[in-house]
Formats: sequence, C-alpha cells, structure tokens
Amino acid sequence: MLTIENCRLTWPDFTADYSLTIDEGTLCAVAGPSGGGKTTLLHMIAGFETPECGRLTYRGRNLLPLPPSQRPVAIVFQDHNLFPHLSVAENVALGLRPSLRLSAAEMTAVLEMLDAVGLRSYDRRKPGDMSGGQRQRVALARALISGRPLIVLDEPFSSLDPQLRRDMIRLVDTLRRKRNVTVIMSIHTPEDVADVAEQMVLIIDGKVAVNGSPAKVVSCIYDRGSSAKPTS
Amino acid sequence: MRLRQLHLGDATTFAIVALVACGFVSLLRIGDGGTTLISIGPYLQRVLIFSFVQAGLSTLLSLGLGIALALALARRQFPGKEALLTFLGTTMVIPTIVAVFAVLAVYGRNGWVAQSLKSLGWTGSISIFGYPGILIAHVFLNAPFVAKVTLDGLNLVPAEQWRLATSLGFSSGQIFRHLDWPALRADLPGLAILVFLLCFKSFAIVLALGGGPSRATLEVAIYEALKVDLDFARAAWLALLQVAICVIIALALHGVVSRPPAATTFRGPMQRVDAADYRLKILDSVILLFGLLFLGPLALSVLVGLGSIPDILDLDLVGALMTSLTIAAIAGSLACSLALAIGAAVRHHRIAQASPRWAALLDLVPSALLAIPPFALTAGLFLLIRPWIDQARIGLILLPVVNGLGALPFAYRYIAPRLMQAEERYGRLSESLGMRGLARLKIVDWPMVQRPLASAFALTAALSFGDFGIIALFGGPKLRTLPYLLYERLGAYRFEEASALGLIILTVAFLLAQVSSRLSHAHD
Amino acid sequence: MFSRIVFALLSSFLVIGTALAQAKPVLTVYTYSSFAGKYGPGKAVKERFEAACNCQLEWVTAEDAGSLLGRLRLEGTNTKADVVLGLDMNLASEAKSLNLFALHDMDLRGLSLPVAWTDDTFVPFDWGYLAFVYDTTMLAQPPKSLKELVENPSGPKIVLQDPRTSAPGLGFLLWMQKVYGDQSGNAWTQLKPRIVTFTKGWSEAYGLFLKGEADMVMSYTTSPAYHVSVEKKDQYKAAAFEEGHYLHVEIAGLTRTTKQPELAKAFLAFCLSDSFQSTMPEGNWMMPVKTPQSGLPQAFQDLIQPQKALLYTPDEVQENRRAFVDRWLNATAR
Repeated sequence: MLTIENCRLTWPDFTADYSLTIDEGTLCAVAGPSGGGKTTLLHMIAGFETPECGRLTYRGRNLLPLPPSQRPVAIVFQDHNLFPHLSVAENVALGLRPSLRLSAAEMTAVLEMLDAVGLRSYDRRKPGDMSGGQRQRVALARALISGRPLIVLDEPFSSLDPQLRRDMIRLVDTLRRKRNVTVIMSIHTPEDVADVAEQMVLIIDGKVAVNGSPAKVVSCIYDRGSSAKPTS
Repeated sequence: MRLRQLHLGDATTFAIVALVACGFVSLLRIGDGGTTLISIGPYLQRVLIFSFVQAGLSTLLSLGLGIALALALARRQFPGKEALLTFLGTTMVIPTIVAVFAVLAVYGRNGWVAQSLKSLGWTGSISIFGYPGILIAHVFLNAPFVAKVTLDGLNLVPAEQWRLATSLGFSSGQIFRHLDWPALRADLPGLAILVFLLCFKSFAIVLALGGGPSRATLEVAIYEALKVDLDFARAAWLALLQVAICVIIALALHGVVSRPPAATTFRGPMQRVDAADYRLKILDSVILLFGLLFLGPLALSVLVGLGSIPDILDLDLVGALMTSLTIAAIAGSLACSLALAIGAAVRHHRIAQASPRWAALLDLVPSALLAIPPFALTAGLFLLIRPWIDQARIGLILLPVVNGLGALPFAYRYIAPRLMQAEERYGRLSESLGMRGLARLKIVDWPMVQRPLASAFALTAALSFGDFGIIALFGGPKLRTLPYLLYERLGAYRFEEASALGLIILTVAFLLAQVSSRLSHAHD
Repeated sequence: MFSRIVFALLSSFLVIGTALAQAKPVLTVYTYSSFAGKYGPGKAVKERFEAACNCQLEWVTAEDAGSLLGRLRLEGTNTKADVVLGLDMNLASEAKSLNLFALHDMDLRGLSLPVAWTDDTFVPFDWGYLAFVYDTTMLAQPPKSLKELVENPSGPKIVLQDPRTSAPGLGFLLWMQKVYGDQSGNAWTQLKPRIVTFTKGWSEAYGLFLKGEADMVMSYTTSPAYHVSVEKKDQYKAAAFEEGHYLHVEIAGLTRTTKQPELAKAFLAFCLSDSFQSTMPEGNWMMPVKTPQSGLPQAFQDLIQPQKALLYTPDEVQENRRAFVDRWLNATAR
C-alpha cells in the first residue's frame, strides 16, 4: 500500500497538500485540470519533488529519504522518454542495467518484454523511426522490466488519438494484472479509464478534491459543472 | 509527378551564390588573360600543409578546452556565471592585433608569466613564436565561443531525460554517455568546421606569432597576389582553391556525423545529479581553474588600455562609434535574414519536399561563404557595382554587405537548428491546421527562433563591429569605424591609445551580447 | 516635428553643398589613409592648397600604397583620380605599366634628396631611410653595420615585416640584397635565428618591439623623432649602419585621364612648395624633399644622417622582386 499523508509543497504562487492511499495491485487514475497539481503529485512519488513535511510510505517503508533511483518507482513521461541515439532494445535494457552490459538471460528478458508490448521485431530500430504510440510502448516496457512494483505514468497517452489511447490503456491494464504491479496514471480524459481503474482521484488546486471509484469521481466532475472542468 | 516548389530561401541562396560568382568572374576577367590555372608548386604545397596542420591543431585544442569548459560550467552554479557566459561569447570579436598583443603581454619575452618566473629567480627566456604562439592565440579567440555554443546545446537536453537518468540511477559516466555526448555530437561537426575555417584563414596572427615565413596560410598568398603582385586572376584562383578545400572539409565532417533528430523542451536551470560526484568536482575544479588561468590573464591584459581612455575621448570617437553601430546593425540584420531564409529553405526541402540532398547542398552554402577570402570577395564586388554607384558611397554599401555575408555562417549555426526543431515539433500540426506563410512564421516559428535569433544578431553585429579587413579597404576621413580608429593610431605610433580603443571595442561587443541575452530571456 | 527639422537641415546642407561644389572645381586626390587621416598632414595640405587654388580638394583613400595601386588597376581608365599621392619607388615601375600616368613636365633639380631625381612621370614628395630602431636603455651597443648584425650569432633579436605584405619589409629585403648580392640567401640563413618574426605590417612589428619582444625593429631613421617630439622620450634611437641605408621615397603623379590637367599640375607643383613640405616632418614623420625655410624641427636635426643611400631602380625592383622573395623564402622558410 502506498500512503501519502499531508505532504505539503509550496511555491510563491502555488501550494499543494496531498493525502491519499493507493492499494497494492490497483490502477489509480489521477484526473484534474491542467496546472492543478497532478504532475507535482506524481513527481513527488517518483522523488523529483520533496515535500516540506508529511509522510510518504510504501509497504510501511518511508520513501522520502530515498533518491529516485532507489525508490520502488518507475516512471513514464508524456514525451522524451527514449534516448534517440540508442536502439529500442537498448532503451528497454536501461531499465535493467544502466551500464547496458547485459547477460544473455537479461537480453532474452528484454526481447520478451518487447514481445509483451507488441514490438518484438522493432528491437534494432531507433526511436526516431517510430510513431508516438510505439515510443510510449517502449517506455512502458522499460518501466515494467525494471521490476519496480510502482509504475507512475504522467499523461502517457495524451498526445495519441482517442482510439489508440484506449488501446494503450487496455495494454497497461493487461500488463499490470499479469505482472501484478501498482499503476498510478494521470489522465486528461477520465472516461478512458472508467472501466479499468479501481480508483480515481480528482486533484484541484493542489488538493485531493474527490477520491473514490471512477464512477463516483466522473459523476462528481459533471455535478461540479463549469466551476471545475476536468479538461482544459 | 509534383513539380518541386521553389522556396524564397532558394532564391536567396541563388542570389548569394550568383553575387559571389559574378565577383569572381569580374576578378578573373580583369586579369590580363595570360593567367592559366595555377599550379601548386612547392611554395603553395608548404603553405597548404602548414595551414592544415595549424588549423587542425587549433581546432582540436579549441574544441577540447571549449567542451571541457562547457561541461564544467553546465555542472556548476556560481555567482557571476551569467556574466562569464556573456564574456565567452565576445572573445571572438577581439581584433586580431589586440589578440596578438594580449598573448604577448601574458606569454611574451617580457610578459606576465616571464616576469613572475623571473621574480622567482628563474633566468631562462620564453619564446612562444611558432606553434605555441599561434595555438595560444587561436584557442584564446575560439575556445570560449565553442564553450558558449556547446553549453547552449547541453541545455537543450529535455528535462524528462534528466529525470529518467535520476530515476534509472545513471552513474556520471552514463550521464555523459546518454545525455551530454549525444548533445555534444549534434553540435560538434558544425563547430569543428567553423573553427577550422577561421583558423585556416587566419592571417595576421599567423604571421605575427608564427616566427617565420614558412608559417603562412593560403590567405597570405591571396593577399600577396591581390595587393603586391596585382595579379587578380591568381588571387581569384587561389581563393577558389581555398573555397574548394573548405567545402571538402565541410562535406567530410558532415558525412561523418549527421545531426540526430532534435528533441527538446525548454527547462529552467536545474541541478544536475552528477554535480555531486566528487571525482567530477575535482575534474571541474581543475578545468575551471585551468580555463581561468589561461583565459583570465589574456582577457585582463586587454584592460591595460584603461589608462589611455581619457586620451581618446573626442568627437571622432562618438562619430566612429555611431558609424560602427549602424554598419553592425545592418550587417547583423542582413546575416540574420539570410540565415532565416536559407534555414527555411533547407527545412522545406528536407521535410516538406523530402529532398535531403538538395537540402544538404543548401546547408553548405553558409560554410562555403566563410571560406571566401574577404579581400577577394570585396574586390570582386567592387568591380561589379562600381559602374553604377558613386565612388564615395561604395564603402557604405559594400561594408555591411561583405560583413553580413561573412557573419552569415555564424547566424546560420544559431538559427537553422531551431527552425528544424520547430518543424519537427509543430510541422504536422500546422500542416493540419492549414497554417502557411506569415501566420505560420508568427505562430509556430517565431517563438522558437526568437532566442537564437537574438543571440545570432548580437554575435553577427559584434563580429561586424570588430571587423578590420573590409574597413581597411574603404575607410578614410569620411568613413571611420572604431577598428579603423584603432589601426589609424597603430599606424601613427600611438599604441597606448590603440589599446584603449581595443578595450572600447570589446566593451561594446560585451554590452551587445549582454543586452541580447537579456532581451532573449525576457520572453521565456 | 523632429523629422521635419532634420529634413530641413539636410536639404539646406545639400543645397549649400551643391552650390559650393558647383562654384569651385573639385580636384580628386587618391592617397593612403594615414596621409589623410587624423594624424596625417592631409588636413593642413587640403586647407593650404584650397586657399591658393580656388578649388576644392577631395581625398579618396586606400589602405596603403599597395592598395592604392590595386585600386587604380581595378578602376583602369575609369578612375576618378586626378592625382595619386603616396606610391613609393618600389611600386613606380608597376604603376607606370598601368599606362595611367601622364608626364609631369616639371624641373626637379635641387631637391634635398640623397639621390638625383630623373623620373619624368613621378614627383617625389618625401623620403626616409630605413633603419633599425632600438631602445638605448635596453641595448647599449647596437651593431654598427648590417654585416655585424647578420654575422654576430649572439647579436640582438630583431623583428621584421613580411616582404610579401609590407613596404618596409620589402625595403629591408632589398637592403639585404644590395649588401650581400648573390650571397643574400646565406645571409638570411645566418640572420634567421635572431629574427623573432615577420609581421604583416609595420604596426605589428613596432608594437612587438615596444612590448619588449625584440631588441630592434625595422622602421625609419625618423622614428625616434616621434618619440622625442610627441612623447618627450629620448631613449629610442636608430642604429647607423656603415654600408649605408636603403632609401624609401614616396611619390606622386597625375593621371592622363584627368579632366583638369592644369589643376592637377598645380597640385604637383604645390607638393614641392614650402607650405606642403613643412607639413612632412611632423605630419608624415618623413624627411621633406625641399628643406622648408624655417628649417627642420630640432628632433629631426638630431637624427642619424646616413652617408650612403642604397637603392634599386624601380625597373630592377619590378624585374627581380619575385626572385628576391623566393630566395628569401628558401633561406628562411625551413
């Protein structure tokens, strides 16, 4: 279980204060208006932002003193996830060994992972030759192969068209069940994840405004009407 | 089959090439017709070999020091860093003679180094004439520029990749390999060509610090043909030879390393994770200390002119300053507009028309321009426009044009990559929105190009501001720039006043760079 | 409002300027830029000539004597020059071969030049001897002859100009040639270890010398006069050499394309007048070809007076320059 208790971050023009728990093995979607603090929450979990006070624990272990590389968290961004000078296989392998010195077994694991995201034959390609959706699948493969139990996805599919976006979300859903990882994913369009996410939180002005089942959050969003549009 | 669309930039490029070609043809025609293709005798052979070796070494050292400095500066934050970065962009503008005197003031027989050693009881004698002197001067002029451009490139690595590096737990070595090196590699070929060409053409520095007539570059032979032998056809052929060599080198470097697709987002100054590595802390301290010890005294030695500043404050100075600024502004605008046009054409052909060969050819034009000896170009253009333009005004027209063309390669280095990025990022979007022409320029390109354009303008204006080559040909009582005043004093025994003028030229160049960096940051 | 004032001012200037220009004929004189520059005699020459001729003198400048010739070559018979002032003897033959200059028809006897002047195209207007200049506080015993300089392996270090790019550089090459003849190659090899460098022009060499990079610099016998007159420093001296000194003579000529030959000739005559010649010593830091009535300034009277002038004729220079330069290159470029 991931527990966030009163984690507060302040900037001159913005204050965030998060409290939230996420159950093991679930998919938690994070929704809310742009600039409302979704990315800050995810960055805090991954270790790129440090709260001034509060607690952040996973399976009872305090994460705050750990640098990003030692946290049980793997992250996928909206863009620039891949190193353009490395091949697809190498980009995935970084998740196992940043030195890229892989044993034969590890190399096999990389290829199997690529197979799992449907890119087995792309291992020697360079990211520059691939579509946006394919690139995000490579990034997802790298996050999964790292063996870290928490996968944080920061609006990973927002730049894809709706059909492709839903396909990708289904892929994430399948893989996380198969590999039994916890997924925290910020999203632009809550409807996309309504049927796969166990939990959804709505973040507004740096706070958890609504927390519950996707159905509950989605209905809340529409009840609130124009005062807090989920999408901008 | 779709007809290939002609881009405005194509026309611009054709115009430039035609202008230069016509200049050459006029030069060749004024020769008595008796001149045949020059043969590369033993003299030229020696000159060529020396030019290659010294330019190669100068380039290697300038790139080495410049890149090391850029990496160290990227990793470290300290007060005064902004001012230091601005300074780095200005050393290129130092008039060569001021650079020669600076090198000697520090490393010469009676220089600071020799004096310090003597005060410690050392009795030997220092002589830096020959390779050491040439290399010191070239590295002094070019390494800071390399550092500046490289640092800009390093700062373009997207923030996401830095976060990934942190998350994946990259070591310092892996950070260099996966983040810094790809960024460096993108800039290296262009920079190497630029520095190589500048050193290959270097003239006054090579003669003054070379120590012997064997240390002469092709540019000396061209000057000799043009000004001593009055053999214009030979000068034109030699100039063509130089252009050919430079184009071959540029092609070779282009071929070895091609620019990987750009992927950038803007990010503010960020603490790099590898800044904490103690081995890098030691390395960076050594690099920065070496840079400081090497460049610091040379820059400081320019300050000796401070004492003579009161002697040069007069109306002439104000007039020359205004003239210089005007010419620099026109030359800078010209260089930037041409760079924009060519950059847009290259992008158009590479992406929209998918004709990368044609694009690569256009891409070469600015580099090739750098290879053209300004003397030969000016003489050619002079012949071209003389029948139509009044004698007294020729200088006013040719000065900004030749300076602008000379500065074009620098402007192009800043502007073209960003234009390409704008296309890679928003090209499809603007295509689907049907954005074209001016609207597209304003909405898509302008925000991306604004900053490099400001930097390019400052650099090209400053380069033109420090130019002496062309003003020497046209300057006179009616047309005087600051460098002209400087050389006028040198020719009249007034060396101290000349160093004061050198200081003023540098200060103005520094201010230009400072203002432009302020302006360009204001919109972020 | 502002722009209207500017416009009014500009147009009135234009009107006045045109009126003046129409009233008086304009004489266009090509010269090198330092002659007409801030510190040169150009301003005084212009004022004095205009006062006498009821005309307007206009300077058109080029970087140096070589560029002046280059420009004439480029312009050919379309040149606007009426008079060309500031070529030197080493360029005279090349200049004549352009077929642009007319005969001066002047009587040039009785000049205070070290050599008799017989040229019918060019008029000399100032001259000087080449010499090595040194700082007496740094070098107590300068060599007494060119041979001593060349042949003493522990002699002073010198800085020279490149003969391919500089007038005094070419002058010294000819000087070596005059003294050593066919042996000049060997002499250059002997001298080479003590040559700090060959610079592009006079300025770089002189600057290097003042910075202390060399004990002596190739310049003119008149250089010390500048330091005395302007800087009040008397430590700089020119070294007198027994073999004699190479002579540098600056010359003027009128073009055959000029539309006002009378005025051009009047200017050439003016060049030999007292009003022009008196500006040479402390304007151009050269010796006048006719000693002014008031005599030479004190600083010039104290200069060394070489006993013998060394000189090649312009034709000899044109014929042999390439060969001499090649010999120099072979001897020094190793």
